[in-house]
Amino acid sequence: MTSEPITQPPINVTRRLNPPPRSLSARLVRHPEARFGLVCALLLVGLALFGPLLAPYDPNQPDFRAKLEAPSTEHWLGTDQSGRDQFSRVLDGGQRTLGTALLVLSCIFGIGLVIGTIAGMSGGIVDIVLMRLVDILMALPSIVLAIAIVGVLGPGFENLVLALVISWWAYYARMARSYVLNARQRPDIIAARLAGIGWGRIMVGHVLPGVASQLLIIVTLDLGSMIAAIAGLSFLGLGVQPPAAEWGAMLSESRLYVTLAPWLLLGPLVPIFGAVLAANLLGNALRDTLDPGVNR
Amino acid sequence: MSISTLPTRSPLMSALPLVRALVGRLLQALLTLLGISVIIWALLPLAPGDPAQRLLQARGVQDPTPLQVAALRTELALDRPLPVQYAEWLGRAVRGDLSLSYQTGRPVLEELGKRLPATLLLAGTALVLSLLIALIGGLLGAAYHERWPDQLIRLLSQVGVSLPAFLAGLLALRYIVVEFNIGRVLSGGQWQYVLLPALCLAISRAADWAQLLRASLLEALGANYTLVASARGATKLRVLWRYALPNAALPFLTAIGVGIGGLIGGSAIIEAIFTWPGIGSYVFAAIAARDFPVVQGFVLLAGLSYITASLCVDLVALLVDPRLRDGGHA
Repeated sequence: MTSEPITQPPINVTRRLNPPPRSLSARLVRHPEARFGLVCALLLVGLALFGPLLAPYDPNQPDFRAKLEAPSTEHWLGTDQSGRDQFSRVLDGGQRTLGTALLVLSCIFGIGLVIGTIAGMSGGIVDIVLMRLVDILMALPSIVLAIAIVGVLGPGFENLVLALVISWWAYYARMARSYVLNARQRPDIIAARLAGIGWGRIMVGHVLPGVASQLLIIVTLDLGSMIAAIAGLSFLGLGVQPPAAEWGAMLSESRLYVTLAPWLLLGPLVPIFGAVLAANLLGNALRDTLDPGVNR
Repeated sequence: MSISTLPTRSPLMSALPLVRALVGRLLQALLTLLGISVIIWALLPLAPGDPAQRLLQARGVQDPTPLQVAALRTELALDRPLPVQYAEWLGRAVRGDLSLSYQTGRPVLEELGKRLPATLLLAGTALVLSLLIALIGGLLGAAYHERWPDQLIRLLSQVGVSLPAFLAGLLALRYIVVEFNIGRVLSGGQWQYVLLPALCLAISRAADWAQLLRASLLEALGANYTLVASARGATKLRVLWRYALPNAALPFLTAIGVGIGGLIGGSAIIEAIFTWPGIGSYVFAAIAARDFPVVQGFVLLAGLSYITASLCVDLVALLVDPRLRDGGHA
């Protein structure tokens, strides 16, 4: 375990005196909320990976004789306005929503780690300029900036990813920088420096692994908001475009038929909620078990 | 813990760090505002296609001649270097001129201003609701720590945190508006109909803040000064209200400042769901019509409100907590 960020609340003493002795996975499984989150997450990952294979119908095959049908044994979640099987579309859409979230977060993680490390290691004018940029970006609500960027660039998958990355990376860079600054004060780093090891080797061998794992906790904590943001932007028509099945985009279609076919709403809504819930539970559990210091 | 400053210093001397901290914070906000103006301005050159061509098409010229385009480029100063364009744009923006909407040809500021009251009503109600719910939830959770009310609140807040505003809005639409015919989807933005959309907007923030308040109340309840207060015979309610709450309020206050950003973005989405006639639904219409000055105006307004909100929160924190004045940080 590496050191905590600068702004840390007092450490919970009882937690320190009785450290959970087992491995991370064992500790996570013992955490009741994490167990529920893990089950949900595994279900969702399975859905994203195998959903398209499990779909009983072609998710994009319209059947105009069977429009807006109520749920039945043939169509478990009913059919949408073009007679497409809603259940198949939910199964098919998972990988778009969840995959996009993972893609965006990986980009942000990389950018945040690189920029934060550069700022934290270089200090001086580079640090000041980078952190000013971060401050400015963080002064705009992420979702507002994302809406504006994707609105100006035009809706679509690539622009959605770009907009989210631009409006979201700043916080990660700031956190990575503070972790790097913390790590630089650590006795083992100072010892390594005194032993004549170059900064490059110290960074790669001793600083970055710890910083990356701390940043990963933030990624997990943020996964829920990211899924919500992607589904929300697609819901607004700014993300994945129809006819491709994506949970947020499906929600905005089913909203139009909420009086005629109210059952259509729950199909994409429940998995979005489940994904956000699972991500939040997992993130909290991971934070609790790995880093009691940031436990608020 | 005493909130007032030490009586040994003269009032003028003790006010000095406060004034210095206030001025510093104000300058910082102004610099940040200048920074976001660059980003907002950059949205336009970022947009694909030629702005002059776009504007002509928006004005109804279907097939603009090169001559028309060139004339407009000169008129809009698009042939000048980018930094000059930015400086001119900033100069106009400072004077309140956010240029004209492509769609209506009217000043963007006027169009946004017309829709601002509806958005303020929605966001303001949501803010009050979130604070109220968070306060009740946090206090109950801390008072009944580890007993059933606490566990219930923890469960509810976990669900609430994971329910983004647009999902809450859709659920309300399906189960309250359509099922029981309560509330309206096509409201004119009157205050009678604000409660339902505001509640949807409030849920996730209220849940988040309740969790936070509960945690910091519990931390305050574990501190020595509350132990002393209980030892001197203060009732549990008094300890919670008089001693724990003021001390737990500071981290809570900071979280509110951050949460307001989400409130601004979330209200746009809720407006789109409930067709609330505010700035949010106007912006989505503007995006569909590629009316970029309106989008710029929206971001500027959102940034301005967010910066103002966090400035106010920080100023209140400075006034409340003398510890922050000597270069300390919340």
